[in-house]
Amino acid sequence: MKRTGAEIIVDQLCAQGVTTVFGYPGGAVLPLYDALYQNAQRIQHIITAHEQGAAHAADGYARISGKTGVVIATSGPGATNLVTGIANAYLDSVPMVAITGNVAVPLLGRDSFQEVDIAGITQPVVKHNFVVREVEELEHILQEAFRIANSGRKGPVLVDVPKSVQTDVCESASSLPKKTSALRTLPDLSEALRAIRQCKRPYIYAGGGVIAAGAEAELRALSERLSAPVGLSMMGLTAMPADDPLNLGMCGMHGTYAATVAQSECDLMIALGVRFSDRATGNVKEYLKDRVIIHVDIDLAEMGKNVASHIDLCGDVKAVLTALLQALPTMSNDAWLARIQELKQRDVFPESRDFTPQNIIETVNRFVGEDTVVATDVGQHQMWTMLYYRFRQPRTLLTSGGLGTMGYGLGAAIGGCVARNGQRTVLFTSEGSFGMNLNELATAVSQELPIVIVLLNNGVLGMVRQWQTMFFGERHSQSTLQRKTDFVALAKAFGAEGYRADSLDELEDALQNLPSNGPVVIDCQIDRDEMVYPMVPPGGSVKNILTRRV
Amino acid sequence: MNKFTIELLVANRYGVLNRITGLYTRRCFNIDGIHSYETAHPDQTRVLISSTGDEYIQTQMVRQLAKLYDVLSVSLRTEAQAAMAQAE
Repeated sequence: MKRTGAEIIVDQLCAQGVTTVFGYPGGAVLPLYDALYQNAQRIQHIITAHEQGAAHAADGYARISGKTGVVIATSGPGATNLVTGIANAYLDSVPMVAITGNVAVPLLGRDSFQEVDIAGITQPVVKHNFVVREVEELEHILQEAFRIANSGRKGPVLVDVPKSVQTDVCESASSLPKKTSALRTLPDLSEALRAIRQCKRPYIYAGGGVIAAGAEAELRALSERLSAPVGLSMMGLTAMPADDPLNLGMCGMHGTYAATVAQSECDLMIALGVRFSDRATGNVKEYLKDRVIIHVDIDLAEMGKNVASHIDLCGDVKAVLTALLQALPTMSNDAWLARIQELKQRDVFPESRDFTPQNIIETVNRFVGEDTVVATDVGQHQMWTMLYYRFRQPRTLLTSGGLGTMGYGLGAAIGGCVARNGQRTVLFTSEGSFGMNLNELATAVSQELPIVIVLLNNGVLGMVRQWQTMFFGERHSQSTLQRKTDFVALAKAFGAEGYRADSLDELEDALQNLPSNGPVVIDCQIDRDEMVYPMVPPGGSVKNILTRRV
Repeated sequence: MNKFTIELLVANRYGVLNRITGLYTRRCFNIDGIHSYETAHPDQTRVLISSTGDEYIQTQMVRQLAKLYDVLSVSLRTEAQAAMAQAE
């Protein structure tokens, strides 16, 4: 069968099980968009307002569905607009395939119109990228791209397809992707088993790798078996239900008091699918002191990279946990468990009806279902969401961890909402972050996506202001926005609903009147001097923890 | 700080040296010397990179390089091992 390159791309996307792609057409992808037009019943294409939004949507779609997200953009500016989204997916190990057009092969390397070396530009932030020079290699490259994106430690792969390759024809039958090879053999567990059996105060630190491996049940089983409390990284926050008595919530710079102090008091840490980000560990020397650390991860290069762990188990978290569970007895230490429950009380605050970030987030939490997808942007509102929203199910959180991308949230919420077939989705954001990519409101309106955008609006760049207050003598350089945006009118101008809330009563009224077929912006005015606590200042340890004044 | 050499067998594709040297740059590791040549097998290239660094750098470099799609195999030779190999 003779097919064009564009047809090969569509066929291979279908063969990979892709049903939805996000993107934006342009000159160098016109042949591909023509093939998408003719195959609209096989693949749904969602056009965003900006390529960055499309990349974040593909990322959000991947995190919620567990499938590989796909984003398409044209050459030049289309491709460069993807870069932040690709880097975001790379830092958070999200499987994504980005397909970019480029100028025709004879025009490559001549600074042609809308030509950039997108493979060179993205090289540091992809698992791999390909420039397809001949149509004959296109199908194999696409198969490799999907295999790489979704195997081992997951991540983005970019495939750059010159326009001439999209129109060139070759003789080939559509072939199905090869099965990926089975998991590697298990590492030797004997040393880890010995350390676990000998410990008195075990502590589990679980991250995104647990969710990527689908090992949530094994994590809970291990925690129960050892009576070990669990601190979660931001990427791993949904790996365990918030109401599990052994769940301490998030660790790290803005982690809960219980997670931070319990970590400092444990004699054994079992780290599962984490990379020990500096935001999670603080001072590494203090972090390591007086304890044995077992590190389980699929990426060998993470072993000893940031923390000199004592026992390294490189392998699939689910496979390792299954094997550990087969060998481990039930263990319990009443004094340690009592200490954990005592620590957890330090994260509970008296109830009020004040219009605080905590009360806003908890109110929204009460109004939506357990399986609701919650997205955030980056900054104070993000940390408050991690601290106060009670996640019950895995793959219900969309947040930018490693890259810390302001402007991630709305695109990601769109992707998450699409992955859930238009189920109501929540986005917690702020004036600064929302301002970066609010053009995607147009996408949410045109796609009729019921996204509830809760704007924690304090009129400042809250986290910048917090650091300036704490570490720069209250010199609030460029962090007071002084904008006069009317978010209710703005939402309406986009064809969305808009409400303003200055109290919990008004917020509850708004939440009782949510539209079912489109987005709504709820502008919540909060105090600009609210701080995120607890906080372990950068480079500090548990000794330096700052907690909320009550 | 010890001298060491990393010996790579890589796919003979355009851009492969760029991927390898780019990895050194962004991980803040230095290249003292580099030598690359096509092997008897035209699909494969041998690359030898000498650097200076402690055990942490040596281990990280080997593990990060092994993750590159175009890298087929990685091995590490410390200066002492290289001297032994030469003596044999």
